[in-house]
Amino acid sequence: MSCFERMEYIMKITVCIGSSCHLKGSRHVVEKLQALIAENNLSDKVELGGTFCTGNCQHGVCVTLDDKFFSLTPETTEEFFNTEVLAKA
Amino acid sequence: MNNLCADIGYSSVNKHGEQLCGDHIDVIEQGDNSTVIVLADGMGSGVKASILSTLTSKIISTMVDAGLSLEECVHTIAATLPVCSVRGVAYSTFTILRLIDNEEAEVIQYDNPQVILLRDGTNVELPKTEQNIDGKLIYRSKIKLQENDIFILMSDGCIHAGIGSSLNFGWQREDIISYMEAFYDVGFTAKTLSTILLDECCRLYGNSPGDDTTVCTVRIRRREPMNLLFGPPSNRDDVDKMMSLFFSKEGKHIVCGGTTSTLAAAYLKKPLKPKLEFVDPEIPPIAEIQGVDLVTEGVITINKVLYYAKDYLKDNKTYTHWTNKRDGASLICRLLFEEATDINFYVGRAVNPAHQNPDLPINFNIKMQLVTELSDCLKKMGKRIKVSYF
Repeated sequence: MSCFERMEYIMKITVCIGSSCHLKGSRHVVEKLQALIAENNLSDKVELGGTFCTGNCQHGVCVTLDDKFFSLTPETTEEFFNTEVLAKA
Repeated sequence: MNNLCADIGYSSVNKHGEQLCGDHIDVIEQGDNSTVIVLADGMGSGVKASILSTLTSKIISTMVDAGLSLEECVHTIAATLPVCSVRGVAYSTFTILRLIDNEEAEVIQYDNPQVILLRDGTNVELPKTEQNIDGKLIYRSKIKLQENDIFILMSDGCIHAGIGSSLNFGWQREDIISYMEAFYDVGFTAKTLSTILLDECCRLYGNSPGDDTTVCTVRIRRREPMNLLFGPPSNRDDVDKMMSLFFSKEGKHIVCGGTTSTLAAAYLKKPLKPKLEFVDPEIPPIAEIQGVDLVTEGVITINKVLYYAKDYLKDNKTYTHWTNKRDGASLICRLLFEEATDINFYVGRAVNPAHQNPDLPINFNIKMQLVTELSDCLKKMGKRIKVSYF
């Protein structure tokens, strides 16, 4: 990044794509988040990434937002996005 | 001794309406590096043809294996085969391909379409000598093997494909050659090449073959080692031992499993970068670790690989998926089925507590079973398999 650009805060969302979370629907969570980020033109403010098993499979689908843990399902993804991401972006 | 080996794959379709195939293939291994392959085509179709071709291929392969001369084989066949009540003769055509120390090929042909040899992408006619045994005209050839040679053995069902319907005179050998030359460099396995040729024959027959049709392909290739790591060791203290054994092995390295790849990344001191592309909705995304050729999720991916492996050994209907898709399972299939000849499995027996949830279709037993079944399938594909547990 050039020194003339303003350092901006980028939110980082990490979704577990390990076996267990995959079976619980992490693909749908990822696809929903990708769509929501695009719809709200947030691709330069939110970084979406994947991770393998985080050891929390019982609470899958495991998602972290800047190191804060969330347990999502495909159904609760939009609510998570509205309250945790959109409100703070 | 050289570093070559043979990838042998064959497939048949029955004449329309028949339950048995009148063509028969027998493959006999003579030690580690020599093989006898016999393709026999019995006269007629159905039960009679099936008996004739099975007897012929068994007799020849057993006798050649025992080191008896070809003359004796032919005498024995003539004296043993049951005589056809309609035609008054006992008759089955045959092709013998004998690979000696993976250095030399001996081809003996009686009345089947002539064996095709593709070398450096084009057809090479085998040098032939004629021999008359008991009134049967038999062609013999000997040729030094080269890496990437492809031999194609066929029954006459291939060259008769489409006769009188889509093609006036059937599918000529020359046309089969130019059709198969197009696939020379793709890297398909012998089995897949056989399937491709057989599928085209079926298409020309309008999907109701007028004769039993068989293709056997043999690819001469260099041995290629491959290593696959699956699961963390049961004892955490063994991680370094397992990793150092795995990564010191020659050949490509595949790492399967979330925890496993985290451990591998830590061992290599390189970041683990999972991708978020769901190429196949059923298969979790792959990841990247510098120094590892392929990183995938574990149980779900391997389960799909096993599914493809079973189909490959049976009808090979799904090769069109795994030969060109980019999901983790397809990528593993290409490395294991197409590239590898010698596969070392490094299997960790750690129990993943998260997988012991009864709601999930993955648990420790399933994982161990997957390894056993997959290595069995790979052995049937002609691979040399070594499994080490940790």
